[in-house]
Amino acid sequence: NKDVDLEKASDPATSTYDVVVELLNNAAVMTKGADKIVNLKKAQELIVHKSSDLLDNFLDEMLAFQSDQSKDVKRFIVGFMEEACKKDFECLPKVMPSMVMLLGDDDINVQKKVILTVSSMFRLTLAWISKAKQTRSEMKEVWMHLNEVKNLMYDLLESANDGIRTHAVKFLEGLTMTLSKKTQDSEIPKKNEEDFSIEQLPESNGIVDVSALEEEGRKAFSTMLQFQSSPHISSINLMTVMNSLANIAKQRPEFFDQVVQSFEALHVNLPPTLAKSQVSSVRKNLKTQMMGLLKHPASVEFLPQISTLLTDLGASQSEIAKNSPKETESRKRKTFK
Amino acid sequence: MAHDLSIAVVCSSNQNRSMEAHSFLSKKGFNVQSFGTGNQVKLPGPALDKPNIYDFGTSYDAMYRDLMQKDYELYTQNGILHMLDRNRRIKSNPERFQSSNAKFDLIITCEERVYDQVLEDFESKEQNNEQAVHIINIDIQDNHEEATIGAFMICELVTMLCVSEDLDNEVDEILQRFESKVNRPVLHTIQFY
Repeated sequence: NKDVDLEKASDPATSTYDVVVELLNNAAVMTKGADKIVNLKKAQELIVHKSSDLLDNFLDEMLAFQSDQSKDVKRFIVGFMEEACKKDFECLPKVMPSMVMLLGDDDINVQKKVILTVSSMFRLTLAWISKAKQTRSEMKEVWMHLNEVKNLMYDLLESANDGIRTHAVKFLEGLTMTLSKKTQDSEIPKKNEEDFSIEQLPESNGIVDVSALEEEGRKAFSTMLQFQSSPHISSINLMTVMNSLANIAKQRPEFFDQVVQSFEALHVNLPPTLAKSQVSSVRKNLKTQMMGLLKHPASVEFLPQISTLLTDLGASQSEIAKNSPKETESRKRKTFK
Repeated sequence: MAHDLSIAVVCSSNQNRSMEAHSFLSKKGFNVQSFGTGNQVKLPGPALDKPNIYDFGTSYDAMYRDLMQKDYELYTQNGILHMLDRNRRIKSNPERFQSSNAKFDLIITCEERVYDQVLEDFESKEQNNEQAVHIINIDIQDNHEEATIGAFMICELVTMLCVSEDLDNEVDEILQRFESKVNRPVLHTIQFY
């Protein structure tokens, strides 16, 4: 009988509105987090995807679940916030204050979910600002909230909790991508093709200054470089920041040389605090990321450094040749056959 | 946290090592799924260079019947029929890791090559930054005895990890304790879905 509600919603006799009311009412009285989430998921499906005209009607009711006792419900609501804002930028003014509040939640897993979502909120807010015909006070407010959160994130990079630091790095990765310009040789994963970044922002918009944002993006990037070279970094933090930097290099090749250099430096100077098997994991990770960089067309200028490093890490010449940028390589192969 | 971590155990063919661990962990009440990363499912055949090869979609039951008919003696003696019989009671067919869209908190691989393939898959998949997943490798040889020992070790590790209130914060420490206890090197990294 689980899908009765969704069936009901497609039955013209009952309105979607009533179904959502029922789902939310039931969720409110349920005791188990998992059961609530089942209902809330259905409600989300209906108001975000099926009848998005209802989103505004039910936004407050959905957001009310942010103070639920279950951490899973709270985490679900954070996900909902992102979905809602993706669907309709006008949700941002209502969602942002809730997000700030959840960032201060007692549960560390709720905090982490918020941290992972904030960079997406940055993207959405800038897209919102860029599309607006004129700036509105709500936009300024949302932007202010976001900047507050952003400053907190920099602090979180020094949190005593390893997991929080890991997640703060992911935030900085997202922030760097949003606050730097896509270029022709950016290799963007399909799913992120539509993602907003500042080259789409009109210079004159009354709220944000594009060159200041670009500067902020560079700051986020160099903060990550610094973090990577901190002497007592944990192996998990280290691998996360390496992967983030490699993602940035591929998607924003303006940073390519700095990333390659930082990996070279890391290779000769691994943190002394790593245990033996952590060193293996980190070296393996370094090799994987270098191979990934090698495949990128921007690697052409850095081939000697990258191949030397890869050889040191145990890659064979044929492996390196196979992953080198294509043109020259494929020609060689053809003549061989 | 207790048993609510969602766990994947992964080997090459999703027959021996991952299924032994799957069976063991699910009996203990863990939320576990199992996978293989190979292109096809390989089982020993009449000679080393003549393995039995199936697609991942083929059911354990069909493999059981196929091998029973091919050489009942041989496949009883080397334990393959017994293994397939165990497997078909757990799920219908082997699953390929790369074809799955399921999300986990913890992925345990049984061999370095498999660990590499899992990471490769993460590289090629689109990431959405929704949640973190820990990927841990423990080397286990692909035979029945080692699979049994391996399942014990995996269960011990998973138990230690599940007790943690804050896995991301404590995983490094737990792994080091585990490593010195079982005296096997462990690879570990984190990825994001």
